[in-house]
Amino acid sequence: MEQLGFYILAFLAIISSIFMITRENPVHSALWMLLTFFSVAGIFVQLNAEFIAAIQVLVYAGAILVLYLFVVMLLNPKSKGFIRIPFRYVLGIVASFVIFVQVLLTLQSANVIGKAGVYTQEAYKQYGNVKLFGYELFSNYLVPFEVVSIMLLVAMIGAIVLAKKD
Amino acid sequence: MTLQHYLALSAIIFSIGMTGVLVRRNLIVMFMSVELMLNAVNINLAAFSKYLNALGGQVFIVFIMAVAAAEAAVGLALIIALFKNRPTVNADELNTMNG
Amino acid sequence: MSGYLPIALMLVIAALIGLISISVGFLIRPRKPEKVKLSVYECGMPEFSDARQRYNVRFYVIAMLFVIFDVETVFLFPWAVSFDVLGLFGLIEMIVFIIILVFGYFYAWKKGALEWA
Repeated sequence: MEQLGFYILAFLAIISSIFMITRENPVHSALWMLLTFFSVAGIFVQLNAEFIAAIQVLVYAGAILVLYLFVVMLLNPKSKGFIRIPFRYVLGIVASFVIFVQVLLTLQSANVIGKAGVYTQEAYKQYGNVKLFGYELFSNYLVPFEVVSIMLLVAMIGAIVLAKKD
Repeated sequence: MTLQHYLALSAIIFSIGMTGVLVRRNLIVMFMSVELMLNAVNINLAAFSKYLNALGGQVFIVFIMAVAAAEAAVGLALIIALFKNRPTVNADELNTMNG
Repeated sequence: MSGYLPIALMLVIAALIGLISISVGFLIRPRKPEKVKLSVYECGMPEFSDARQRYNVRFYVIAMLFVIFDVETVFLFPWAVSFDVLGLFGLIEMIVFIIILVFGYFYAWKKGALEWA
């Protein structure tokens, strides 16, 4: 059952991401990317990361994608010159494929070598994913958490300065 | 399901995203492909987090999502500012800095 | 894991309903296209421009603020769930986090990013 779910979700993710990069209309690309995000959220559920799956739908599919669609509609670019130089097309695919094969060759011997932590399946069952996640985030990752707020502040100010030029 | 399954899926999606960045010339679609690559990295982190029984990976996924949101906000604002000067989103036509 | 079976089932049924209703309609409906029938409003005003025209930049600024504060909410949620373990220390952490982001909020306010007129 779990295997079937994984293969369906992986198939959906791969197919929709291939469609995403091959659609000429950016709106179609964005909608295919939505399907990719949903299938990746399903894979997160399989990996005992329910909270991450919810956030994936909330932040990626709900917020970031809306931002992309807004910009596509804001600019309404004339979609022409999808791929002008076939050479670049071939070169890009070949380069990506080489990287992919390299990664796969590395993966053959990949395994978990670190010391296993305490957050086992039983712990998730007992306390729930979100509670354990909150405890880990606010006790061991305190400084990155505060730095994220500064990063969001800088992003907000930068985007306002760039977009709102009156 | 072994760890390798998830890592292979992540590698495939990462390669597709990289192909998108290399092949597409539309700046917005190139940004979307970068998001796809970040998603592939997230799958990697979640897989290791599960098989290590650790939560650090999941915490970092949330940080990556925050970075992705900030990147989308600033990057798309840059594209809008660029579009005001030259009405194009083709990366090949934006070559004035090309010495 | 098995608790997600109903959700998967519901997604499949939802997709099937959409697919079946569209394809059945496509198969059995009569097709006699003419110019008036294919216009956007068959019994209404004539259309005057394309729907895909450019939006105002204000929409982008609002959407961007939504994305940033959405991410902030994402951090608030696990904090609220595990608040009983974290206690006062967690409260101080979150107050610092929110104060830093409130600066951005006031900046946006002062710059007029929230004004609509």
